Amino acid sequence: MTSPPAPSAESMRFWCEIMRDDNAIHLDPAAAEAAGFGPNRVNPGPANLALLMDAILAAEPGAAFSRIEARFLGNVFEADTLEVRTGPDGAALYRADAPDEPVLEAKFTMRRNEQ
Amino acid sequence: MTTKEIPVGRYLLDPALDDRLRAFNGVAPREGDTAHPVFAFVMALGGMGLSIRELSDQLGLAFGDGPVLAGCVLEYDSTLRVGARYDVAAEVAELLRKPSRRFGAADHLHLHIRLSQAGRACAEARLHIIFPAPEHEQA
Repeated sequence: MTSPPAPSAESMRFWCEIMRDDNAIHLDPAAAEAAGFGPNRVNPGPANLALLMDAILAAEPGAAFSRIEARFLGNVFEADTLEVRTGPDGAALYRADAPDEPVLEAKFTMRRNEQ
Repeated sequence: MTTKEIPVGRYLLDPALDDRLRAFNGVAPREGDTAHPVFAFVMALGGMGLSIRELSDQLGLAFGDGPVLAGCVLEYDSTLRVGARYDVAAEVAELLRKPSRRFGAADHLHLHIRLSQAGRACAEARLHIIFPAPEHEQA
């Protein structure tokens, strides 16, 4: 299990900029609340996926992905404490305050002997 | 109005973006010019010929109501490299309206996006995004 950094308003703004995605739920707490997500900004899904990728690659230095299949099951919010759990079939992301409810699950297929 | 034709876009994978992403994630700097693999997603969405908002507007989807990402499949033909410029070819694979416990009705958008460089396939992304159906169209 690893504990990645908590999402911040600054990191979410960065993700929105690099993806040209100005979905207000990532940028404006009031918009997140109006959309029914509660009072905090919602972390973009690929930002969560990147955390799982980091955990997998940390365990397999030099490896590269061939395929990733991800299901986004819940939301991560600004300042959430997160946990990444890895297993033989992939990885999952949890909010520390809901340790039995994955917010993201992903399966990874690796390419070996990257050239 | 609907369209399934999205102009081909381009994305320059600036090394500074990769640096900053890794810093936010608290991971080590990249080795050589190997970009973080999440850039397959980033470039797919960010490099389309239309932004996701523009595409949503064209398709009549309620972008302003807070769409969410439901799933994705990323496939890599080669390592993504910083400093490289990628062509981004996207198409609407499917757009369906389905009942939704949360929204009453929801629009499910499936995008298929191909990244290439100098005509060589580099990665593909399949994205599933769910939009609340516009209020006036809900059952």
